[in-house]
Amino acid sequence: MKNYFPKLSMNKKLALIAFVLGLIAVFAGNPYRGNSVTMDAKELALIIDKQADHVSSEELADWIVQGKSDFKLLDLRTEREFNEYHIPSAELVPMTELNEYPLLRNEKLVLYSEGGIHSAQAWMLLRAKGYKAVYMLFGGLEEWTDKILFPKLAQNATPDQTAAFEKMKEVSKFFGGSPQVGGTAEEISAKKLMPKLEMPSGTSAPTAGKKKKKEGC
Amino acid sequence: MQSTSTEVQHAPKPYWNPYLSGIGLGLVLLLSYVIMGRGLGASGAFSSLVATGVSTIAPEHAKANEFYNEYLADTTKSPLKDWLVFEVLGVLVGGFISGALAGRIKTTVEKGPRISVKGRLFYAFIGGTIMGIGAKLARGCTSGQALTGGAVLNVGSWAFMLAVFGGAYMIAYFFRRQWK
Amino acid sequence: MNIPFFKYGLFGDDVSLVIAFIIGIGFGFFLERGGFGNGRKLAAQFYFNDLTVFKVMFTAIITAMVGIYYLSVIGWMDLSLVYVSPTYIVPQTIGGLVLGFGFVIGGYCPGTSCVSAVTGKIDGMVYLLGIVVGIFVFGEIYPLVSNFYNSTPMGQITLSQLFNIPYGILVFAVVLMAIGGFAAAEWAEKKLGNKIVEP
Repeated sequence: MKNYFPKLSMNKKLALIAFVLGLIAVFAGNPYRGNSVTMDAKELALIIDKQADHVSSEELADWIVQGKSDFKLLDLRTEREFNEYHIPSAELVPMTELNEYPLLRNEKLVLYSEGGIHSAQAWMLLRAKGYKAVYMLFGGLEEWTDKILFPKLAQNATPDQTAAFEKMKEVSKFFGGSPQVGGTAEEISAKKLMPKLEMPSGTSAPTAGKKKKKEGC
Repeated sequence: MQSTSTEVQHAPKPYWNPYLSGIGLGLVLLLSYVIMGRGLGASGAFSSLVATGVSTIAPEHAKANEFYNEYLADTTKSPLKDWLVFEVLGVLVGGFISGALAGRIKTTVEKGPRISVKGRLFYAFIGGTIMGIGAKLARGCTSGQALTGGAVLNVGSWAFMLAVFGGAYMIAYFFRRQWK
Repeated sequence: MNIPFFKYGLFGDDVSLVIAFIIGIGFGFFLERGGFGNGRKLAAQFYFNDLTVFKVMFTAIITAMVGIYYLSVIGWMDLSLVYVSPTYIVPQTIGGLVLGFGFVIGGYCPGTSCVSAVTGKIDGMVYLLGIVVGIFVFGEIYPLVSNFYNSTPMGQITLSQLFNIPYGILVFAVVLMAIGGFAAAEWAEKKLGNKIVEP
């Protein structure tokens, strides 16, 4: 074999190399990564420690009010819950479909669930799959409801708190919520009526015009 | 057609061994997959060009047409600011570099001895038109489907490739006067 | 390794256009090297005189296919991120036939006609013009053919999934087919008197 190979013409050498590479391929296995993922434990721990893994409801509300469209908002709850209420511009992605859902590695993803557990789990999964820009909504939809839709002002609020509340009132109205002043906790929760599912006026739907062009020829 | 004097002095170099050109081409394709996650293409760039042209002249007409609209959908940037358009610009430059290095740049008409220049150009135009329609119907051409899809074992691309060779061999006999 | 780089967000859209240009240069260069800028050489394929088109194309396909396969098997490349254009089997087969007709009649395909035009071939330039007209014609008749165009969708599917054959075995099969084809091509060219088309 050693003496034989150099004597071949170049075309035959190339053919032989191709043949050997092809033959090895039969035994080398499946090229798809499938459902298993790998993760860098230290890197993940660092991100979590630096709290660079979440956005607050205020930040998210700000982005939507400003009409930012550089991120994708993913709702991880069930379809029924999604139809009852979801944050404007969110897309429904039930946990079981997360693995197949078409997401790009280079787009910013914001996850939310009812509380924070599902989004934290999904965050781990996506990070492990190599999605770099994944964030979860801190406190989930619960905090969104409390802080954005129904912000309250305590009766004995400091001037700072009052100022912040005044600002938040606008944001809250934008999302169809109702700011609450004073009153007891029970009173307020009784009045909570989730806003209707309509895009707030004044913003263009962030998903419009983003239709991906096909990559083919 | 006449060739210019400087080119006559050097005989053009022969083409490379086809397997070496093939490996070179394959590595470029591989590089495109490695860097971009997508293959090569050509006809898509012309679609962007046509869609841009139509929407410049008749914007309403282009908007109403789903085919043009696909290339115009992203309103945040010009449809010509497209991956394939820039790739094809590169093809023009790369082809010129290779041709220039080998002394193969020459104003001429490639044809068989039994057909007039006019006849050949007529057929080239008709062939191009048919190719344009076929490439769009097949969602890609020899670069975008056969080569690119072939390398990732895409079902549609392999069916397409067989059909291209089939179609060409089917009618080659009737057009032999053009080439032989 | 995070391959494909772009899908992992290692650079943005603007950089990708620069890369497109550079990759295009490589593409055009090797097309011209192989003789794909010459309509006579391309057409000779269909008269069995010069089977360069087949040789170059299939060498390129198996080179890229084997490369993609091994990069994925060793875990450097995520094959699921590679774009596989969706299959519409009937319109693509019919489109392929039509394109084959155009190939013999005109002598080029879109990529090769670019190389041909830029190396001074008038027929290549006229052919390019034809493509633009053809695409325009297709665009205008699109409302009439859109039903057919979108018929028989099969989604993003590979031969491996269609036939339920492991990917690696298919890689080997395609390599074997190609080598067999090359041997047959060499034999046929010799048999027909080596009428290789030169520039």
